[in-house]
Formats: sequence, C-alpha cells, structure tokens
Amino acid sequence: MIRGAVQPDAAGWASQARALFLKDVRAELRTRVALSSVGLFTFAALLLIALATRVLKETLTVDLARLPEAVTSEQIRAHMLPAWDDPGKMGLLWVLLIFSAFAGLAHSFVHEEEAGTTLALRLSMAPGAVYAGKLCFNLAVVLCVAAIATPAYVLITGLHTGPIAEFLVLMIAGCLGLGAVATIVAALAAKARGTGGLFGALGLPLLIVFELMLLNAANTLYGGDVTPLQSIKDFGGLISYSVLLIAVSAVTFHFVWEE
Amino acid sequence: MDLTNGRNIASSAPARVPGAWWKYACGALMCYVIYGAFFIADGAAGFGKGGDNARAVFFHVPSAVLSSLCYFIGVVYAGMYLFSSRYNNLETDAKSSIAMELGLLFCTLATITGSIFAGIQWGVFWNWDPRETSIVIMLLLYASYVVLRLALAGRPEVRARLSAVYALVAVVPAQFLIWAVPRLLAGMHPTDTLQTSSGLSLHYKLVLYPAFLAFLLVFVWLFQLRLRAIKLVSRREAVS
Repeated sequence: MIRGAVQPDAAGWASQARALFLKDVRAELRTRVALSSVGLFTFAALLLIALATRVLKETLTVDLARLPEAVTSEQIRAHMLPAWDDPGKMGLLWVLLIFSAFAGLAHSFVHEEEAGTTLALRLSMAPGAVYAGKLCFNLAVVLCVAAIATPAYVLITGLHTGPIAEFLVLMIAGCLGLGAVATIVAALAAKARGTGGLFGALGLPLLIVFELMLLNAANTLYGGDVTPLQSIKDFGGLISYSVLLIAVSAVTFHFVWEE
Repeated sequence: MDLTNGRNIASSAPARVPGAWWKYACGALMCYVIYGAFFIADGAAGFGKGGDNARAVFFHVPSAVLSSLCYFIGVVYAGMYLFSSRYNNLETDAKSSIAMELGLLFCTLATITGSIFAGIQWGVFWNWDPRETSIVIMLLLYASYVVLRLALAGRPEVRARLSAVYALVAVVPAQFLIWAVPRLLAGMHPTDTLQTSSGLSLHYKLVLYPAFLAFLLVFVWLFQLRLRAIKLVSRREAVS
C-alpha cells in the first residue's frame, strides 16, 4: 500500500495546496483543455437556449385564482404574467452551469493519471492538500464559467437579478456547492477508471438536492416581500450544504487518494 | 473475495438454521397487517374512496421509514469499514452494500405506493410534491451507489473503499432530503391527517405499529439471506 507523504504542519499544508492549484492553473493556461471544452459547451448550450426559448419569452399567462368571477378583457390583461418567470429562468441557468462544469471538471484527476504525475503527488503532498488544491482549481473554473455565462444568459433570457447582493450570494454559494461535488466525484470516477458517464451518474444525484435548494432560494430572491429570517434560512441552507459536503469530502478524501 | 476470514469452512456448516421461530412470527405478523389494513382499520375522514385510500399508510409509511433506516445502517457499516481497523474487512463492506440494496428496494416500494395513493387521492399520479421529489432523489442516490459498485465489480478492495466514501459523502444530500427539504418547501403530502385531537385512533394503532415491526423483521430476514448468499459465494471461490 502506497501511503501519502508525512502530514505537514498547517503552513506546509497550505503551501502544498497553493502549489498544486498554481500547477493546475499553469497547465490549464498552457493546454486550455478544460477552458476550451467548457467554453464551447457553454456557448453551444446558450445558443440552444436562445433558440428554444424565443417564443416562450414572449408568452404570457394568467392565474385564474386571482381573477374575480366576472372578468373583463382589461382585467385579464392587467393580471397577465410572463409564462416563464424569473425562478424558472434561474433554474435553467443552473442546469446550464452544472452541465458546463461537468464538461470541464470530469477529468481534473484523470489527467494526473494520464500525465503520470499521480505517484509524484502521492509521495510529495498530503492527501488533504491535494484535495484543497484541486477544490480551489475546480472552484476557480466554475466561477469563471459562471462569470461569463451568467451575463450572456441574462441578455438572452431577460432574467432579472433582483437585489444584486443576494443574487451574488446565491451565485457564489451555488458555485461553491457545484465545485465541491465535482471535486470529490471526479476523484471517485478517476479511481474507478470510469468514463464521463460514471461521473454524471455519481454527481447529478448529489446536485439535484442542491438544485432544489437553489430554486427555493431563487423564489426567496424574487419573492419581494420576504423577511430577513427567511432569506437567512434559504441562503444559509445553500451555504451549509456546500460546507458540509466539503467537510465530509475532506475527511474521506485520503481513502480515495491513497492506493 | 474471501469472507471466510481464514476459517476452516468444511467443518463450520451448521446442521439446522437457528432462530427460525422469529421468521414464522414475521410471516404471521405480516398476514395480520394485511388483514388488519382491510378489515380492522376503518376508512379515514378526508381521504378518497370513502376513506379507504388511507389504508395505503400501512404499507407506504413503513416502506418510507425503512428506506431511510437502511441508508443509516449502510452508512454506519461504511464508516466502520473506513475508520475502524477491527471492522476493516470485506464482510463489513458486504453488510453496507446489502443495507443499501435493501434501501433501494424499500425506496422503490415507497415511491410506487405513494404514487398509487396520489393517483387515487388527487387524480394525478405525480405532483412534484417535495416529499415525492425527495423519495425519487433518494432512489437516485441508492441507484448511483449501485452503479459505482457495478463499475468496480472486479476490484473488491477498491470497490469497498470507494463505495464507502460515496455513501458517506451522499449522507449530506440524504439528510437534507429527509429532514430539511420537506420543511423548507410547502407541499401536499398529508401530515398528521390520520390523527384526531386525542392522537391516532386505536384501530389504526392496532395495525400501524405491528406494520412497522413486520416490515422491520422482513428487512432483517432479507439482510440475513443476502449476507448468507454472499458468504456462500465467497466459500465457493475460496474452495475453488
């Protein structure tokens, strides 16, 4: 059994994680494998969404429960709402970001095996530092994708951001959870020598719950008359999910990493 | 895969199966639950088909509770495999995987019985109610665990380690599904609808509580059968 390096102190652990993160960033800037695959996928997906939702954006609907018994056409027009509302648009945005991230992050551990650097990492770095470095890199990729895709999506679909601070908290919390899931699932799939199909099969069920909570937070974001306690509950739930997932992954990662 | 732990297999085969009495009791109890669901418990007010739709609770609720319990048991064995040197063996891994497989079975039963109930009660078999959504996502979590184990079929040690890690990581969404999601999101799922101001009626207690026990005994019985089957396969492999 090949064990990892001797556990370093906190400063050594942080410098190992930073070194791995910078190594991955330099490798990615040199080869641009993840960026190009993610970029192309995101661009194609945005184009598909723009084409598919062209008519949906202009469709209006009315909630019959809000209308009086005897209605006039003016009353109906006054109560018409977009058929595709902002929470729905937010949900589709996160579906787009999830699949874009999966397109780019599935190979974050596999390419170490292909490049022959896995043994060197095992011998020179603590498993916790490897996990932290890979997590930071995956988070950076997800944040870059979100930073580029979200404004384009807002332009295409007309998504309203609502209160900008809460919108940013929601997006950053979402990227944190997405990066956390992608990192541990990539490690498992690489060790299982699975294909991209295995990565999706393992990762998507973990993310469906997260998507549910994101949609709930989006309803709060666009709800209008929401108490601060409700906002704290919904956004806090998102952040706590991500933090718990990172904690459990960090504790169990060395069982995946070590031979 | 050797689950014999180095024991002499030829001399350890038992002459008869011990503890069969509780299995007869389980069978009798399940017959009582089926009889009681239709002939002892009355129809409940507020439910479809003259209240008869409420009878689904005797099968749906124990299945749903067991699907959560099985996950908890699977996670405990997974944790024992990873963190305890005493239980770091393939038998512990087998117990974890059996609990998860049975969890998948009971989760499927809960989904089907719940869907039948919804179809009769509300006229639509699926409403995307938070609890309905939760149970189908639990089904996906169980299924992805099974997929991971299938992908590692030829590497038992690696399979044990990775599936234990996945079970522990998936605890986070599982716990959010079981505890947080139904409380965060309002839904149509009936809660406390069978209870009167003085609690559950006697007729329902007489059937529901034995139903929980009967389903639990069925789970234990299936667990034992599955573990014995896995040990028999490992004995055959060790001999050959």
